[in-house]
Amino acid sequence: MANFNIDAQKDMTYDAIVIGSGISGGWAAKELCEKGLKTLVLERGRMVEHVIDYPTMNLDPWDMELRGGLTPEEQKKHYKGIRTGFIGKDTEHFHANDLENPYTEVKPFLWVRAHQMGGRSILWGKQTYRWSDLDFEANARDGYGVDWPIRYKDIEPWYTYVEKFAGISGEPLGLPQLPDSHFLPPMELNCVEKHLKQRIEKQYPGRHLIIGRCAHLTVPHNGRGKCQYRNRCSRGCPYGAYFSSNAVTLPAANATGNLTIRPFSIAQSIIYDDQKGKATGVRIIDAETNEAIDYSAKIIFCNASCLSSTQILLNSKSSRFENGLGNDSGQLGHNLMDHTYRIGAMGQVEGFEDKYYKGRRPNGIYIPRYVNIDEATKSDKFVRGFGFQGGAGRAGARAAANQDAFGADFKDQLLQPGPWEFFITGFAECLPYYENKVTLNTEVLDKWGQPTLSIDCEYKANELALNQQIEIDAVEMLERAGVKDVVGFNNHHEPGFGIHEMGTARMGRDPKTSVLNGFNQVHAAKNVFVTDGACMTSNSCVNPSLTYMALTARAADHAVSELNKLNI
Amino acid sequence: MNRRNALRHAGLIAGAATLTPTLLTLLQSCEAQPRIDWQPQFLTEDEALFLAAFVDTILPRTDTPGGLDLKADLFMDKVFAETYDAEGQRQVRENITAFNTQISDQFGAPFQDLNAEDRSAALQAAEAASGKFNGQVWGTAVGKQEPVGFYRSLKSMAIGAYLSSEQVGKEILRYDPIPGGYDGCLSLEEGDRAWSL
Repeated sequence: MANFNIDAQKDMTYDAIVIGSGISGGWAAKELCEKGLKTLVLERGRMVEHVIDYPTMNLDPWDMELRGGLTPEEQKKHYKGIRTGFIGKDTEHFHANDLENPYTEVKPFLWVRAHQMGGRSILWGKQTYRWSDLDFEANARDGYGVDWPIRYKDIEPWYTYVEKFAGISGEPLGLPQLPDSHFLPPMELNCVEKHLKQRIEKQYPGRHLIIGRCAHLTVPHNGRGKCQYRNRCSRGCPYGAYFSSNAVTLPAANATGNLTIRPFSIAQSIIYDDQKGKATGVRIIDAETNEAIDYSAKIIFCNASCLSSTQILLNSKSSRFENGLGNDSGQLGHNLMDHTYRIGAMGQVEGFEDKYYKGRRPNGIYIPRYVNIDEATKSDKFVRGFGFQGGAGRAGARAAANQDAFGADFKDQLLQPGPWEFFITGFAECLPYYENKVTLNTEVLDKWGQPTLSIDCEYKANELALNQQIEIDAVEMLERAGVKDVVGFNNHHEPGFGIHEMGTARMGRDPKTSVLNGFNQVHAAKNVFVTDGACMTSNSCVNPSLTYMALTARAADHAVSELNKLNI
Repeated sequence: MNRRNALRHAGLIAGAATLTPTLLTLLQSCEAQPRIDWQPQFLTEDEALFLAAFVDTILPRTDTPGGLDLKADLFMDKVFAETYDAEGQRQVRENITAFNTQISDQFGAPFQDLNAEDRSAALQAAEAASGKFNGQVWGTAVGKQEPVGFYRSLKSMAIGAYLSSEQVGKEILRYDPIPGGYDGCLSLEEGDRAWSL
């Protein structure tokens, strides 16, 4: 296995420092190392080596002490994250400790964090879609937020570049609003999904029901194994079949010999030198000893995750930047966005009682955005749009508990597949509002005595109108497709639930109104790059991780080119 | 002879002639005081007897093992003991007492002391009075989940304990830990069992 170099004592000076080892940090590390830069990756949590540190990857429910249940102490440790409904014994060790890492909800906000090597790349949903000019032109078109400094053509080659390495499965469709990736073979729809696809596409010209595009390998790829359809991804995959930093980018970075990883290293601030007019390194706090240590580098990539990257910038105060590094515009911490979540419809599908499936597919269906994509589909109720994820499957124990039955026949029936169910749930775009923000909180300190974040964010009229339309459309689509007992739902989740936090250090053309330029460089400190969710200028309705990967590879290429030209 | 079999036997008699309370009392008094053969971590002996009777009524032994055969009640006790906080545990106690008080008022004895017919009648009444679970997507209920009540929660927990047991998972349901691929249109024959995982 990898034998990562974790001896950061040996050397205090590097060519590059990457803060964070999640999806974007892993990409930064790989690209910078492969371009020959001696690179230090700072990870605030522990090491998690691929396969070696996946303790639950092969456990059946009965192999776990409480069959996956958490003790009250464990529940307390995750008292915020547990609101997601998916933290169990199988993944508890990959979720951050909410007691040691407090944050303040000025308005309700769920912040899901993963503090270990690989970060949330171990836990993510793996849905991977390209954004389009519908997204990159959105702010310019309707006037919310500032214009993106890039367009699809700027990022298109970088999508291809990261997709070829990461391995994205899916089916090409040629839709302008959802450009095709460089695909591995798609996963398969089950027979009910195929049936509903036909019904929906016939009823609604212009709408498509497709298999999810995802970062799961459907064929062996770059030395990694293909998906075995166990659906135990978030415990870590022994085959390396889904994209994570641990399985994919960090081993590649390590193979260059240029990588050093320092675990238990909380980035406290980026050090800025007023004389030189640029950043010179990163101050860390050793999470185990509480010792403050400074590391130096020519370039810094800040990839701590959307809100944490902004927290580090806000905490990086100097005489030049009294309100946080790169905060000349006053926009740092502002324009926080997430996707609205858990609004849709579900129901039962009849006529397929003699059909089942084999394998636990870690992927569902996707219905790409179909509103506000052109004049013909323009809504007068809201700007922007939404897409749906979903899937069909046969119900299990929950449906059985609802049955008005018990006893011998009931038990025998329980052992057979339940009725077919189908659901779709929307993800809607959120506008960038200045007043949706994070600020440093010096009253509430974390375990290491550091300031924490206060999060003040809410959905407003446009998002609520989108959500209303999602539910109406979802119910109507299912009913017209012949789904029975259709129930619409809107969980009114607070922001954060989508786990697609974006914004707070946005890219833009004008340093007066944005934090980063078109290559993710801090306008006024050009050797500092932010390429995680913090950089996003708008948030599309499409899952963002693939775009973080592409932006990171693009920024790393630019960084090395500028370094070689002695521009930074 | 354990208590469950005694009651089943009583149930058979009831098929031929109405079992009067007197006769039931007589039958019960022929038995030694019912016992459980394990040491609960959380439940009292009476509560454990209630839970055993409940699990056995929901998931009786047929040609496949019943809930008690697979120690679903032991596991549920463990869940109460090790995953519930003090307030949650207090509520469990309160709920069992309230559930059994209502049954005693109606049937003259707590659930665990009823014959099969009365147990069935008691649970049918509880079914009718209980809310239902909303659908779920990715780990959480969709829409606003109204309380389903103690009966539905306990029934759900019993089903969960049964289905998550190793014997059901590996020997009774179809066990396929590493499917290797996906077939989205598998033919299902009458009586075929579900996948366990």
